[in-house]
Amino acid sequence: MSAQPSSSISPVAQPQGGVKKSDRVLRWVVVVLLVLSVVVTTVYTALSIYIATKLVYVPPKPIYATPASLGLQFKYVTFPSRTDHIQLKGWYIPGVLPNGHLTTQRTIIMVHGTRTNRADKAAGLLNLSVDLARHGFAILAFDMRGTGESPPEPLSLGYFEQRDVLGAVDYLRSGSVPYPALGRTHIIGGWGVSMGAATLLMATAQEPAIRAVVSDCAYADIIPILEREVPKGGNLPPLFTPGGLTAARILYGMDFYAVRPEDIVASIAPRPIFFIHGTSDTYVPTENINILAAAARTAPDAHIQTWLVPGAGHAQSFNKEGAVYVDRVVAFYDAALGPDTSNS
Amino acid sequence: MSSQMYDAFQGPAQNRASQQNDSVLRGIVAGFIPLALLLIVAIITILLTALARQLLASSGFFAQQQASVIVLIAGLLVALVVYVIAIVRALRKITSWQRNSMIYQARAALIALGVGALIVLLPVILALVLPQSPAP
Repeated sequence: MSAQPSSSISPVAQPQGGVKKSDRVLRWVVVVLLVLSVVVTTVYTALSIYIATKLVYVPPKPIYATPASLGLQFKYVTFPSRTDHIQLKGWYIPGVLPNGHLTTQRTIIMVHGTRTNRADKAAGLLNLSVDLARHGFAILAFDMRGTGESPPEPLSLGYFEQRDVLGAVDYLRSGSVPYPALGRTHIIGGWGVSMGAATLLMATAQEPAIRAVVSDCAYADIIPILEREVPKGGNLPPLFTPGGLTAARILYGMDFYAVRPEDIVASIAPRPIFFIHGTSDTYVPTENINILAAAARTAPDAHIQTWLVPGAGHAQSFNKEGAVYVDRVVAFYDAALGPDTSNS
Repeated sequence: MSSQMYDAFQGPAQNRASQQNDSVLRGIVAGFIPLALLLIVAIITILLTALARQLLASSGFFAQQQASVIVLIAGLLVALVVYVIAIVRALRKITSWQRNSMIYQARAALIALGVGALIVLLPVILALVLPQSPAP
């Protein structure tokens, strides 16, 4: 018996005596790491949740005027977004032909930018809608979720708002006809500004019914803009941006990293796209038009036009160019959608 | 006969090595328990937050946001408490192992605890270290 090894009774031949100095140091290092892991992670998580809640909510702006105030007929419309059925509010403005007759043959879906609504005074959206209507295009201008008169919803910078544009297409194709005497629209085009343009591009990539797109100052990828704006808005260092975006994903299910029109824009071909961007745009840098146009041109059958508007700031190309802007956009739509034949 | 002689000479060394491995393994498992508990509670919290969001989808944004934030913060607080309690228990266990001269086990547990703490810190470290390319 005495020949049996003692190690089978006590735990392995471990060093005897008091705790070694190296073990005491190790213990302190680990305790410091643990305290850091608790404190730093708690603070980081709390601030990330705060950033996410601030990022996604924007109080809606009231609509300052209607098409009637500019002398045009219109009807209020309500339609559900695709997939999540949020009831969106908007206007349907019939196009006016040169002979004064109304038409709904070609409809342009107008998609506004972030933190605004279907009238968007700063970008001149109502004026542009009216100008296009006077050139014979019916207009569906609506408030995306969380804006104007549509119900409050988180702002996802295009991730969820694509469903609103797709809902507008569904409404035009199969919803109630706002002007029954004029019939249902046959041809759908899209015009979008800023977030609206990025959203429209992403929706068009999924929806072949949109036959032509005018994209005014769209971003190619939202992340660089968020990486600049989130620290500025929250007065926090940039390291909190990924946390805030991750918290937004957990809280609201939105993935800002998927808001990258540059990845899908080529799939819109052969439908034509007209990219417009102001050269003095500091919010969505002008470089974005080059990225988007280059990505779109990778499709072999792409039809891409670009227009850099000298001296125009963010979403200010229409305000700066006025009639020239309208003429160029109308010429693009006429070429892409064909003429209105409702009178013939 | 030769087998018996082999056991007599090789057995104790093998036993010692195997027991040493066992004790190190026990230490590692004990050291990673706080991290495992934290991850389990955090994953459950994220799933519950998604569930709350889905269940309240028709109740409007404000109700949905309020519920999601409450579930997320409550869950993360539970995760924090569970993590701290598990750390305290692990440290006590390590102290007791050190007193009983189970040094390898204690050392392995301490290292595992430290690695666990680094894993918890990893998202913050990555946010700090990974490059961002903000728009000009």
